[in-house]
Amino acid sequence: MDKNMKQRPVRCDGVGRRDLLKVGLLTGWGLGLSQYFARVADAQLQQRQTAKACILVWLDGGPSHLETFDLKPDAPAEVRGPFRPIATNVPGIQYCELLNQTAKVADKLTILRSLTSPLGEHGLANQYMLTGYEPSPALVHPSYGAAWSHLQPTSGALPGYVAIPKAGSAGAGFLGSAYEPFATQGDPAQPSFRVPDMDFFPGVDVERLDRRRAYLEQFDQRQAEFERSAPSSDRAFAQAYRLVTSNEAKSAFDLSQEPQDVRARYGPRTFGQSCLLARRLVERGVPFVTINYSGWDTHADLVLQLKEGYSGAKLGVGLIPTFDLGFSALLSDLSERGLLEQTLVVAMGEFGRTPKLNSQGGRDHWPRVFSVAMAGGGVRGGQVIGSSDRMGESPRDQPITPKDLAFSVFTLLGLDPNTELLTPDGRPVPLNQGGQWIQGLT
Amino acid sequence: MLTVLSWSWFSALVFLAPHGDDICFDREIIPVLTKAGCNAGSCHGAAAGRGDFRLSLFGSNPAADHRSIVDAFQGRRVNRHQPDRSLLLRKPTGELEHGGGQLFDLDASESQIILKWIGQGAQRHAAPPLERLMVTAEQTQFESVPNQTNVRAEATFADGTRRTISELVTFSSMDSTALRVGSDREIQLLRPGQHVLLARYMDHVEAVQFSAPMGNAPPNALWEKAENFVDREILKKLNELRLPPSPLANDTEWLRRVHLDLTGRLPAIDAVKSYLQSVNDTTRTELREKIVDELLNSSAYVDYWAWRFAGDLRMRSFPNEEQPLAAYHDWLREIIKQDQGFDRLARLLLTSDGDSHVIGPANFGRMVRDAREHAELVGQFFAGVRLGCANCHDHPLDRWTQDDYHGLAAVFARVQRSRHVRFGERGEVTNLRTGEPATPRIPGQRNLPALGDHRSEVADWVLDEQQDLFARVMVNRLWKALFGRGLVEPVDDLRLTNPATHPDLLALLARDFAANGFRLRHTLRRLALSQSYARSKEILPGNQADDRYYSRAFPRPMEPAIFVDAIQDVTEISEPIAQANFERAIHFVDSSLPSLTLDALGRCQLGPSCDATPTGTYNLSAQLQLLNGAVINQKLRDPRGRLQRQWAENLPLDQIVQEWYLVALSRSASPTELEHWTNELATDDRQEQQKRLEDFAWSLLNSRAFFER
Repeated sequence: MDKNMKQRPVRCDGVGRRDLLKVGLLTGWGLGLSQYFARVADAQLQQRQTAKACILVWLDGGPSHLETFDLKPDAPAEVRGPFRPIATNVPGIQYCELLNQTAKVADKLTILRSLTSPLGEHGLANQYMLTGYEPSPALVHPSYGAAWSHLQPTSGALPGYVAIPKAGSAGAGFLGSAYEPFATQGDPAQPSFRVPDMDFFPGVDVERLDRRRAYLEQFDQRQAEFERSAPSSDRAFAQAYRLVTSNEAKSAFDLSQEPQDVRARYGPRTFGQSCLLARRLVERGVPFVTINYSGWDTHADLVLQLKEGYSGAKLGVGLIPTFDLGFSALLSDLSERGLLEQTLVVAMGEFGRTPKLNSQGGRDHWPRVFSVAMAGGGVRGGQVIGSSDRMGESPRDQPITPKDLAFSVFTLLGLDPNTELLTPDGRPVPLNQGGQWIQGLT
Repeated sequence: MLTVLSWSWFSALVFLAPHGDDICFDREIIPVLTKAGCNAGSCHGAAAGRGDFRLSLFGSNPAADHRSIVDAFQGRRVNRHQPDRSLLLRKPTGELEHGGGQLFDLDASESQIILKWIGQGAQRHAAPPLERLMVTAEQTQFESVPNQTNVRAEATFADGTRRTISELVTFSSMDSTALRVGSDREIQLLRPGQHVLLARYMDHVEAVQFSAPMGNAPPNALWEKAENFVDREILKKLNELRLPPSPLANDTEWLRRVHLDLTGRLPAIDAVKSYLQSVNDTTRTELREKIVDELLNSSAYVDYWAWRFAGDLRMRSFPNEEQPLAAYHDWLREIIKQDQGFDRLARLLLTSDGDSHVIGPANFGRMVRDAREHAELVGQFFAGVRLGCANCHDHPLDRWTQDDYHGLAAVFARVQRSRHVRFGERGEVTNLRTGEPATPRIPGQRNLPALGDHRSEVADWVLDEQQDLFARVMVNRLWKALFGRGLVEPVDDLRLTNPATHPDLLALLARDFAANGFRLRHTLRRLALSQSYARSKEILPGNQADDRYYSRAFPRPMEPAIFVDAIQDVTEISEPIAQANFERAIHFVDSSLPSLTLDALGRCQLGPSCDATPTGTYNLSAQLQLLNGAVINQKLRDPRGRLQRQWAENLPLDQIVQEWYLVALSRSASPTELEHWTNELATDDRQEQQKRLEDFAWSLLNSRAFFER
């Protein structure tokens, strides 16, 4: 009952005259009026409840859809692969047996099983998935986090976009280095983990920092006069200044303040502690965090890489169990703290893996169909959208392009996908081009 | 017998050669499919095809495409008896369900041509290859936007025949907000600036540039009077785009810039002083020539350019093997020091064998893992070609095929990448297209015998005068080092579909470089002494939108290593780099070892996508390092450093300020500046004085004035 209420749009009169004209045209193309209204209503709905934060779990290298969220137990052995599916807490939905913790929070997740892209090379595919634009030599588009922090700049002391530990491909593109994510560096799982250079240099205090800032402005002003060039406002310096002068902001990066039982819950490894750091940052007001988890380019030995982690491991510490522990802890922790409704969580990589195992027991690049997991931020839980065919080769229904994904993510974040960004040479570029709302997401 | 033989020969000929109005599969059907998008990477052109129907990407393999269309799928794609019942028509016209939707109507010219071809028997006749695709527009330079024109295309085939093939060419825009391709080949130019139209036909791609004014400068022919071709080409383009050139930079700006760009170092205080004393309108030209020559012959020059090229060559160390990197780096330094021709460098890098602990260039092939990476590095470094795409399919944006890629890799398949580099007995590369061992090949040209060492033929290819592949990518790198942006960007991606901002200038520079023995000093001297290089950063009304035509100097931050060295020179305290005893950051060319300082400042990491120059101001991480980290703070605090010595000696404030201006900004402080800072810094409290001086120097080293060139 409650759920249904939420899904009904508050305003049903949101269709204007222009839209009606459009409807007229559309019906000519065979799209029924009711379908059109359903689309508009769906898009309006999630525009109403927008996420306040986003955690992007970037699985760099391209995780196998066939070993995570889209298993094919009935396919021949060379497609089926080494692992079995298990039931989740949602009847009828199965995940890989290595995702047994995530299977317990499946009611919070939407799995998109029909992502499809033509790009099977890491660099190009990364860009497509992280920006929603096919890479072009003319322009490097900003990734989600950079676009968001550009359009909704934070005035507070915390950076608008943080990457743990590094930005990877999720950079700022044409928005420039000022919108690159703040990279924490280091390994959050190490006891000595500290984000570098957060504390004043010995002997320097706020008073002196203020003086330095004033002097710096004088130098920059004078230089602009000397060169007759344009003075530029140094956004990075202003941001750095706000951060280092706020103890509260600095403590957001301090994992050692988390209680032991909370730290333990996320598991002892880098990825889990990165998830915990992401939650801590989001809780304290960082709007966008990317967790960069690399190693998913598994061309050989799936059992070793995905499950065991090292040969002869008794307890698997490979990629999937590590992901499983951290990711499931992140979802339940966010949920228990009441943060999941307003925090969009997306887990994805740049493509899937070849349906047929290769001669080294691995899988190669496969962009034609793959899976993405989403939760929170208004996304409906406990469902699967789209499907792949019998062999996990192509989308069977509701193909979703990276453009559609970008359209939907931006919409969930409360950004109109038609919003225009300006390139350095003053050219307006819409946030998203050619994408469509993913039906049924909210 | 004889008659029978000749008759059958004759009939075979008739069968193969096209009649006058026969539809030609290669020349007409494939282009129609390309134009409709059927063989694009997102449709049937994908490596695995789509809907069990596979075409080669953009029709690069007509024979295979003919088989897919005519023979595969039990021949149901074409119906010779009822051509209009062919799947090849019923799918794209939307009569049957088609994943790609309806692409054209049954009465469209596309359908008619396909119908006719099937009616004629759906044959593939031998067609001479396309030799040249020429695209012409009624107009390419416009006075205003929006504006429009028409384009036409003509093909010249290997047998000498020419045909107008405008309607078969796929035209596309690199930026559809600026240039739009309408129906009937109408080109609409929508935005000011220079924009590119791409034309694709058979296996050729051509780029055509259109332009419209970006500024409001009145037309002029200043460029005709330019003293050298660099300035002429730059001014010509500025005139075309009506961008007013900014005035020349003042003397100290030029001096600082040329020192940083040729040697990676700030000018010493004495160099600034003596230049200022002797420069005037009559001495300027001669003096600048002298300074450039001195810089080009300095040891700092050798350090700097070896550092730049070490990055392009992806130099790195091996665990527990120090000698190879040292030998390689020393060899590169020697080539640069002696100004040996880079054609020689290319040959040595491509062909050297021997003990890699002694023979520097033998390490070229050791920096990569296998023959494929070897081929990719060869393509990128020597030819400005990114071959990576052609591993799995023919390059979609260039002319390179899978056979080119695997063929070039096959040339290097037998290189033994251990300490003793040699061309071994064994080793092959599988051509992913055929699944067979790849045939060694000069990309875009010819197959080579399977046996034998063909590495020197690869050197011949990149050095070939007709194409100037190596010369072009080299001068583009040099241009970027001095002007902040390549004539082509990315700097080593000289694709047909990625034309230079100044195509003529790139060609002239390349020819000039090659004709003068591929020597760096020759070209660097030419660039550094041009007027285009000497412009100020001043923004004029009308050239503010320019970010690539050099109407003014673009502010460029120093690279992290240059920045760290400059701080070291100014503070007189050295920076520990990577726990090793490097005198300067620039000597540290190992891209595999971390360096906390350089990495925090955004040093280029190992990898093909690395671009050595940061594009804007420092990001938050770098800024924190500068704000709170040791890289600047510690050096200002060190009692052996310039600042603390000045303080300890209790020098007059105006003297301290003047010295910092000279050493860090390479100019004198003006009387107002001197007065401002002496007032600002003055205090009777010695401890407070120390702090203020630290804050003054810190701010100076963090200012744009310091870190921009």
